[in-house]
Amino acid sequence: MSAPATEAVSPLEAPSGSPLHRIAWHWRHNPKRELWLAWWTIVAFYQLFFLVFFVLTRTQPPPSPGWDVARVVQWFHHHHYGLLIGFGIMFLITGMTAPSNALIAYSMRRMSVSPAFAYSYLVLYSLSAIPGMLLMCIALTVGAMRPDRDPELISWLYDFAFLSFVGTMGVFLIGSLVWMLAILLDRNRVLPKWFGYLNLCNALTEIVVSPAWIFKTGVFAWNGLIAWWIDMVVFGLYTGVFIFLLRRMIQREGFGTGPLPDLAPTKETDPSALAETAQ
Amino acid sequence: MTDLAGAGPRPHRVDGKPDAKDGNKPAEFVPGQPDMWAFVLFEALVFTSYFVVYMIFRTRSPELYLQSQAHLSLRIGVFETLVLLVSSWSMARCVQAARQGAYRSALTNALLTMFLGVVFLVAKVFEWTRLIRMGFGFSSNEFFSHYFFLTGIHFLHLLIGFVAVGVIVYQLRSPARRSQELVETGATYWHTVDFLWIVIFALLYVVR
Repeated sequence: MSAPATEAVSPLEAPSGSPLHRIAWHWRHNPKRELWLAWWTIVAFYQLFFLVFFVLTRTQPPPSPGWDVARVVQWFHHHHYGLLIGFGIMFLITGMTAPSNALIAYSMRRMSVSPAFAYSYLVLYSLSAIPGMLLMCIALTVGAMRPDRDPELISWLYDFAFLSFVGTMGVFLIGSLVWMLAILLDRNRVLPKWFGYLNLCNALTEIVVSPAWIFKTGVFAWNGLIAWWIDMVVFGLYTGVFIFLLRRMIQREGFGTGPLPDLAPTKETDPSALAETAQ
Repeated sequence: MTDLAGAGPRPHRVDGKPDAKDGNKPAEFVPGQPDMWAFVLFEALVFTSYFVVYMIFRTRSPELYLQSQAHLSLRIGVFETLVLLVSSWSMARCVQAARQGAYRSALTNALLTMFLGVVFLVAKVFEWTRLIRMGFGFSSNEFFSHYFFLTGIHFLHLLIGFVAVGVIVYQLRSPARRSQELVETGATYWHTVDFLWIVIFALLYVVR
């Protein structure tokens, strides 16, 4: 950010009165309303995500990859309505991932790093819903909607769904690394450095799931202790932490531009000095 | 974006402490960024969970694990461990030299650490090739799955370690940078990877 420092927006006084009155005031006047809307969308999305995957469809924790064809067909039969209702909800709310990714990209735009980081993240994560969620939702919905098809095909859909969901983590791997690099290079201290390193931990777990392509049983299978349970704990912690940190970022947001006062231009960072050096 | 975080000369620190480079730095809680220590703690927890899983599955079929373990070459394992221990020693010398302002010596030690890291990686690839030629791959049996997974994920951590040492070398090369904090942060990462190897070595090669 090389724009000259400008005055931060002075916060308006929130009125006292009935809760409804205060909510209405915030909707109309709070300068952070768009940010809060994006943040609450993240919270709502992850609640629904949990509800759909862990409760309604029972696709998480994943069922066994080692089942024979008959057992897989039985699984589809048992979860018929759960799959249809759950993934019906998911198809409706997939777009809620956009404000979530936008807020994360916004965090990077508040950093002193190049906008290329935020752009890369946005492009990567606009793809992420496909391998991360949609392929599975579509494949399992197809399986649930066509129970009369050849059991071998149903079994193929089952493998396709879970392998695409668990095994295709490259987008998230690079996305986490982009965010990590932005945080570590940032001089505005938008997000703490330890969270930058936590991104690396999360990125590494995306690699740990890859043996799920090879194993049908044991700790490295798609429902295994290492490939799923430990990774899920790390991912859950990571997600909880970034939602909390984004909330803190919005609370601290002052809408000012330019470097922080204590990061006033130095010989190395002052654009005019750098330009002179370049000449 | 012109520099690594915190690397460039800063006018003053927010917490009012004098900058790391002025030599009168008060004793900090930990060397390097405390943030890196959060990473160390978290990674240690994740690896501990891998080790616990390994131990649980080992107690389920001790015969298979013992027989498979016999195919590992303890000699190569000891060599790799020694190489990493010496690399940690050279890294410690690098930090010490940088603290005393002997940047040329610090740089030499950082490059020596990198060289030893490469020796470890080559030894590791050699060891993997040897086992695969003997017919033991990632999916041969439970022991070898754990073996290739643990050594593989450690290998990956070591590759990231080259980025950490790269940052140290970058810091030491120019008088305009030389952030002691970043040197110590990179060193902390390297020592962690070394420490993790010691545990992996003990569990996979030594414990019978």
